[in-house]
Amino acid sequence: MKRVFIVGVVLLIGIGLLFAGGAREEPVRTVEFWYHLDDPEARLDPLIEEFEAQNPDIRIDAQHVPWDAYHERLITAVAAGNPPDAAQVKLWWQPQLVELDALQPLDEYLAGWNGVDDVFDRIWELTRYEDGTQYYMPLQMVILYMYYRVDVFDELGLEIPETREEFLDVAATITEEIDDMYGFGIRGARGGHDYWGTFVLSSGAEFFDADGNVVLDSSEAIEANQWYIEMYREHGVSPPTTPADGFVEVIDNMLTGRTAMTIHHIGSARQMHDQFGDDISAFVVPAGTEGRWTSFGDEQTAILATDPDVQDAAWEWISFLATAEYNQMWNDISGQVSINISNEDVDYGEIQRFLEVTTASADYAGVLPAHPEIASFVESTWPAEMQRAFEGEITSEQMMRNLADHFRD
Amino acid sequence: MRSVTIKRKHDLYPYALLTPAVAGAVAIIFIPMLFSFVLSFMNYVLHRPQDHAFVFLDNYRRALGDGVFRIALRNTFIWIVGVIGLQVSLGFVTALFLNRRFAWRGLARALILIPWVTPSVITALMWRFMLDGNTGIINDLLVRVGILQEYVPWLAMSSTALPAVMVALMWQGFPFFAVMILAGLQAIPTELYEVADVDGAKTYQKFFRITLPLVMPVLLTTILLRTIWVANSLDIIFIMTGGGPGYSSYTLPLYSYIRAYRGLDFGYAATIAVYLTILLIALITGYVVKVLKSEDMY
Repeated sequence: MKRVFIVGVVLLIGIGLLFAGGAREEPVRTVEFWYHLDDPEARLDPLIEEFEAQNPDIRIDAQHVPWDAYHERLITAVAAGNPPDAAQVKLWWQPQLVELDALQPLDEYLAGWNGVDDVFDRIWELTRYEDGTQYYMPLQMVILYMYYRVDVFDELGLEIPETREEFLDVAATITEEIDDMYGFGIRGARGGHDYWGTFVLSSGAEFFDADGNVVLDSSEAIEANQWYIEMYREHGVSPPTTPADGFVEVIDNMLTGRTAMTIHHIGSARQMHDQFGDDISAFVVPAGTEGRWTSFGDEQTAILATDPDVQDAAWEWISFLATAEYNQMWNDISGQVSINISNEDVDYGEIQRFLEVTTASADYAGVLPAHPEIASFVESTWPAEMQRAFEGEITSEQMMRNLADHFRD
Repeated sequence: MRSVTIKRKHDLYPYALLTPAVAGAVAIIFIPMLFSFVLSFMNYVLHRPQDHAFVFLDNYRRALGDGVFRIALRNTFIWIVGVIGLQVSLGFVTALFLNRRFAWRGLARALILIPWVTPSVITALMWRFMLDGNTGIINDLLVRVGILQEYVPWLAMSSTALPAVMVALMWQGFPFFAVMILAGLQAIPTELYEVADVDGAKTYQKFFRITLPLVMPVLLTTILLRTIWVANSLDIIFIMTGGGPGYSSYTLPLYSYIRAYRGLDFGYAATIAVYLTILLIALITGYVVKVLKSEDMY
């Protein structure tokens, strides 16, 4: 009898504590957030701590995912019905994520958010989906430009090239005049479509016409592509390893003095400056026959959660990351440029010159078209066809026809 | 009556022991295999759930008309024959060497296993660095000894990319052949060589009349095992060349992987995998038939 009494008292106290706790504390919502930073040692901890202090009912479970596997992991997680609640995303994944009905439209949230006007208009334009819906929240401004060796230009008395012809002359001069140095490091492997776009999409090549027909194999596109192929095959201004050169090789070639120019964004500026000091700088990519085009190597955030409560919590997190103070913190960690107008005057110190070129390039920044096949174009079709063309296995015309068929099929 | 019960218990005992292993194999091998087989008859592009449907043999027909599939199929044959051929040759020479008496033989037998125990990722990265067209040590050595006039971008040329990866896999896999063949060599009675010596047999005659025939059963089994592993391996190719330049180092498993995880076309990727399975089953069947015939002879 005594034992029954004790058990009864313990149960009553336990139930009482349970209800008392429930009445005092709000339920904590956890937002699983996938992200990637080029520097594997960089951490989001300061941002998360600040956010959680401001939002005690939300916990951020941030998971770093390697870029190489990011796209496949994200899409398979969505298809398996187990996506992260929010994620850092790229524009060319957007059509696939829309097809999978994985993205939460942000328009209603944005209508009540007071930070809209502090984000550059151009970024809203570039990130808005083709049907006018805003699924992506701007996060960082990644615009590609041309790195160049100031000392090499000075030594040879070269001017910064404005057009692709001038650029080719400069690259050829460097290749000819300096032993073991090539004028331009072309990225021929995966990810090199940004380089290709700079010269081909600025010279008359387009993916689709106004009616949505594929026109990648138009005579203008074939000619522009031929010019690009000849830079490597005929003029030899890029190292012989070009067809296999990916990000690591292209940056290594620049850092080791194997090449004098290459295309990348401000994410490499610190490394370049550490290696060359004032002997490295940057300029806006040269103009093609139809003007300039550079890649908006974007990264945004999006909400993928299906639970409305978690969606709201995810919105709190991604809008926090887009507000000026915290967006600058994010970009200090990622090494990129803030999307906020009020951060325009932030001093980047010794790499300020690269920030200025990034801003100057914004007017020419473009994105690949929103098409469900654009991801596989970037991931596998473009690299394979480009490498075949560089190798001389196929002509420019065959390459562009194969690229066009990728979208026609 | 009691003895019958005990006998029944004993009869069931092996099955009880096997059940966990069989259940595991069914769960993680056979069910996914069956699912892949079903997928191969479907249009199953991951990001288009609304279009998922049975298309029966369409994927199989599509593969036959796919130029990249034909390149990958051709490369798969070159890959298997080339890698196995190189591994057998180097493995045999190494085994013959290790079968002789010399100082530090025990240490040599242990060291020879290093490539085999090196993880594929490390092997691939190591060879990628050594073959680098700008800074690779292989280019450096070949230029220094005068074989090359200038550095060769081995992994950036379609004519050399696949052979370069084959050399890397040969390096990793030959110790397995060496060890297996060495075991076969040590099982050959020395009396046979003594009799051959008495009969005045030359070295090559002893090799072709005694060594090779007696090692052959071990060799064939090892070749069969390695063929299956080599045919399915894609990690080294993926890390060293990614299949490129172009499609020059695509093999069927790599093409299947790229279709699945870069193109998200799981239906077509499964079809490519089924074609590879058919190819391997044909090889194994050929081997089994050959073994059965040779057993009949004895």
